[in-house]
Amino acid sequence: MEEIRIKNAFPTQETAEQRGTWTELGDYFRRQSIWMLMYCTGCCAIELPQAMTTVYDMERLGMGPMATPRQADVLLITGYLSLKTLRRLIYSYEQMSEPKYIAAFGPCVLNGGIYHDSHAVLNRLDDYLPVDVYVGGCMPNPESVMNGFVDLMNLIKDGKATGWKRYRDNHEWYRANQIAAVGEVFVHDEFHE
Amino acid sequence: MILGILAGLGIALFGFTLQSSVAGINRKVVARVQKRYGPPWYQEFLDIFKGLSKRGVTHGWIFDFGVIMAVGGIIATAMFMPITSNIAAFSGLDNFFIFVYLLAVGMLGMAMSASGSGNPLASIGVMRALTQMFAYEVPFLVIVMTIIKVTGTSSLVEIMAYQGQNGWFMWTMPLGFVVASISLLGMLGKKPFETFIAPAELASGPMVEYGGKHLGLLFIMMEISHFIEVSLFVHLFLGGATTIVGYLIKYFLVYTAANLYSYLNGRFKIDQVVVFFYKWILPLAVLQAVWVLWR
Amino acid sequence: MLNLELVVLATLLGGVVAYLLSMINKRVGSAVTILVSGAVFSLLAYYGFGNSIDQTVELIPNFVMFKVTALGTFFAVLVSFVFFMVSFFNPFFAERYKYPNAFNLLYLMTLAGVVGVFYASNFITLFVFFELVVWTSMFLIPMGKGTKASITYFVFSTVGSFAMLYAIIFMAVGFGTTDIDTVLAGLTGTAALIVYGLLLVASFAKLGAYPFMVWLPKVLGNAPDPVSAVFSGGIEKMGAFIAVLAMIKISPASAMFEAVGLPVQNYIVGVIAAVTIIVGTMMAIRQDDAKKLLAYSSAANGGYILLAFTIGNSVAITGGFFHIFAHALASTAAFLAIGVVTYRTKTSKISELGGMIHHMPITYVVYLAAIISMAGIPPMGGFISKWLIFQALIQNNLVFLATAAFIGSIGSFLYVFRPLAALFLGQKLPKYKDVKEAPLLMLIPMIILTLLSVVAGVFPTLFLPMINNIMTELGFQTLMTSGFQIIGFNGTLDPALVAAVFGTGVLVVFILFMIFPKSRKVGLMDTYTGGEFIYTEELLHYSADFYAPLERLYRKEPFVNKIYDSIRIKVEELGAFVRYFFFTNKPEVTVFWIVAILLFIVWGDII
Repeated sequence: MEEIRIKNAFPTQETAEQRGTWTELGDYFRRQSIWMLMYCTGCCAIELPQAMTTVYDMERLGMGPMATPRQADVLLITGYLSLKTLRRLIYSYEQMSEPKYIAAFGPCVLNGGIYHDSHAVLNRLDDYLPVDVYVGGCMPNPESVMNGFVDLMNLIKDGKATGWKRYRDNHEWYRANQIAAVGEVFVHDEFHE
Repeated sequence: MILGILAGLGIALFGFTLQSSVAGINRKVVARVQKRYGPPWYQEFLDIFKGLSKRGVTHGWIFDFGVIMAVGGIIATAMFMPITSNIAAFSGLDNFFIFVYLLAVGMLGMAMSASGSGNPLASIGVMRALTQMFAYEVPFLVIVMTIIKVTGTSSLVEIMAYQGQNGWFMWTMPLGFVVASISLLGMLGKKPFETFIAPAELASGPMVEYGGKHLGLLFIMMEISHFIEVSLFVHLFLGGATTIVGYLIKYFLVYTAANLYSYLNGRFKIDQVVVFFYKWILPLAVLQAVWVLWR
Repeated sequence: MLNLELVVLATLLGGVVAYLLSMINKRVGSAVTILVSGAVFSLLAYYGFGNSIDQTVELIPNFVMFKVTALGTFFAVLVSFVFFMVSFFNPFFAERYKYPNAFNLLYLMTLAGVVGVFYASNFITLFVFFELVVWTSMFLIPMGKGTKASITYFVFSTVGSFAMLYAIIFMAVGFGTTDIDTVLAGLTGTAALIVYGLLLVASFAKLGAYPFMVWLPKVLGNAPDPVSAVFSGGIEKMGAFIAVLAMIKISPASAMFEAVGLPVQNYIVGVIAAVTIIVGTMMAIRQDDAKKLLAYSSAANGGYILLAFTIGNSVAITGGFFHIFAHALASTAAFLAIGVVTYRTKTSKISELGGMIHHMPITYVVYLAAIISMAGIPPMGGFISKWLIFQALIQNNLVFLATAAFIGSIGSFLYVFRPLAALFLGQKLPKYKDVKEAPLLMLIPMIILTLLSVVAGVFPTLFLPMINNIMTELGFQTLMTSGFQIIGFNGTLDPALVAAVFGTGVLVVFILFMIFPKSRKVGLMDTYTGGEFIYTEELLHYSADFYAPLERLYRKEPFVNKIYDSIRIKVEELGAFVRYFFFTNKPEVTVFWIVAILLFIVWGDII
């Protein structure tokens, strides 16, 4: 879109970062009990109840749903990314406690998916919020979802899931992209005032 | 006294470990009932340590101070709890009323901290928690008053000894046992009395703004308060225990029974909870007391 | 030696001096009230506990006679302490009154009257000073908002005073003297029951027991804040004093209620006390005005005091006196904290306030300590007295009264939490942006009251000698203690140990808290809103109708007003009846009277 954005400036971490023993111990706890924020953005969210219940039990990985961003570890972005949703997503992501991860479902967050030429949808999430793991499929079936979660756990184990540090260190770049895309991020809602 | 305090801290740590393990095993039991696998038995420990290792937010000094006061009060209550007739930190001084009121300190601390976060959902959750306490605590206190008068003492260790000679109160005061079981469900915050957490209505009620170490500490508080409540029930109605193995078995059975029963129920509204306790449970408790004491 | 009548006269004189000095400068006049009440308290405490108060009367006329007793000393020192602490608030509220000079004069006259009541030796003295307190406090009330509250107070006090006057005259005619001790010890039989009942009516009217509790919320809600604090902490204790006289000094022998081991009339008073506790608690839960809430709380605690005295054994009576002590401290501190809020924000309605803790943290801590004591939670003084009362209730098999006491105890968690959550905590409302902490002179009494509450809760045995003197004087066994522990009927309580364990727990958690990663500080409006962007603080503040689900269950219960409505309707009917027969211009009634009078005149001739 605009020239402000620098495409592909921050590819996903290929090399693991150096960690101290306390951080490694913390990562051990953090990967064994990931809590997800029940914020289901789009159509891929239909696959989550199957992953939570009997056949593809998510709880044996230690994952479970939690109600508010403050308590959650992973923000699941399931589906296409409209402008209004992006504002709320940024608000919720910034409210989460660190360290935090993002798992993105479906092709709509990679390149727009089947809505790639819509006026209300943004094509590439990684310019606005740092994504740690992608799960493919439109929509991904529950085995892929479970596989994605296990991939996230392995990334945390190797120390490669550092999206939150990227966001913290390059905050102005992300903020510039967000403002270029949606205008005002924390909007003053004209319905309530 | 220093020795007693150290022993008390050991009991609190033991209680925390016990309850977390039993809760983890229960998650597996419930999962098997629901035909899935369930997490490993040490999952609760993982959840708590994960919470403690994250960096959350704070809304001011009262937010932190309330959590500290809450967890401190609960640990203090746990320090008084006897495990068996022989393992107790302050034998003879563990008055029943201390338990009731120190639990109230814990609740007050959490309530202060939740309201201090500025979120109305937290205040509503606290309001429901207090109203629920108003409902379940009064019949429980009436039944315990009967027990205290019958045994002539309000120290838990001596009540255990009395039951060893005269039979468990589960058989000799059956109405009281029924009342206490239902009050136990209310105390544990399990369905049908889960109103104050109410995850889908209130976004987990008082815990709405807790992240990181506050959440970890609050989970510790919930585990230890469950330990205290189930232990009270075991000591008062099931005769306590003279050996640690007997205590562990009774504890596990009571908690599993309460947990499994709670999964069969929906959730009451808060005014239904109050009406239920005052219309059915309190008259039962008073009837039991009058039957035992005035005859 | 301290001459008691000089103390009383000096207080009255101090009132006049305050009046005159207030005409020059209002603050100086209020400072005089501080000095005089402080002097009264310290002199009474020093000489009273040293047992060297002189009770001779020289200057006042002969019917006023004082007698120094341990009971009187306890009450007088406590109430004068409350007056002293509250007087620190007088200079700041002086410019809000319509008649500030008269306020200072009346304040000190009330103090003099109260001291006279507690040290009275015969009933005439008691009655004179009792009425003096009623008259002076009656004129203190309307300096707040409106005058109707004062009329309500006067009506109920009059009922009590007339009952007491009738009892006094009854006893004087029967015994020929009005000396308190001889008369009360000599009553027997039905005379004892009649005097018992009448004195208890007077006590109920003063304490605010059911059904006389109507005046408490009206008065304490509309009076100025220092007056509310003084009422709750001081003047209601006069009612407790009369209750002690009635219940403990007269022991009418009558039928016993076997199952609980109490005489029947004691049980009836106990039932009234239990109803007071329940009604006070339920009404307090649904109040929106913080002062009215604390007024109902005072009524409920008065019910606890009455309940303790009805049981009548040593543990219960000690518990009753300790509850008087702890409740006076806690209630005064709570009223003073709300007074600070009113001083800074001109309102005390909970639904209009919010987030005061960020402006006035010390006031918040004072209020928190006061409500912990009122709810009866360790490590404050309220826990000790509640523990003692529960011991006595359990010992006597009092199932229904104990149920009411438990309901009151748990319900008190609910209503004390309401101002805490909705007034002090919650969102910071923008219209109170410039509110500051209370001035230093207001902070001093609040901090002193809090520290005393804590000491009373952790080391209650320090205050027990004062109560043990009263117990030996009344002829009861004193409470058994051993070191710092208190021994009740079915258990031992070690408050110092409880406080130490609580402190250890908090310390352990504090260390744990500091080890883990530090949290980042965010503002109050940055909170979970389900993804919505909200910028007005009122939308995120939960304060109106705080206990709405519980209140809905009894929203339509008026509790007390039905009785008074029916009395009012009967009085109106009587008036209509009289007007119909005696003040009419209807021809048929005139014919009726003509026929009746003629019949009356010629009756003798016909029969």
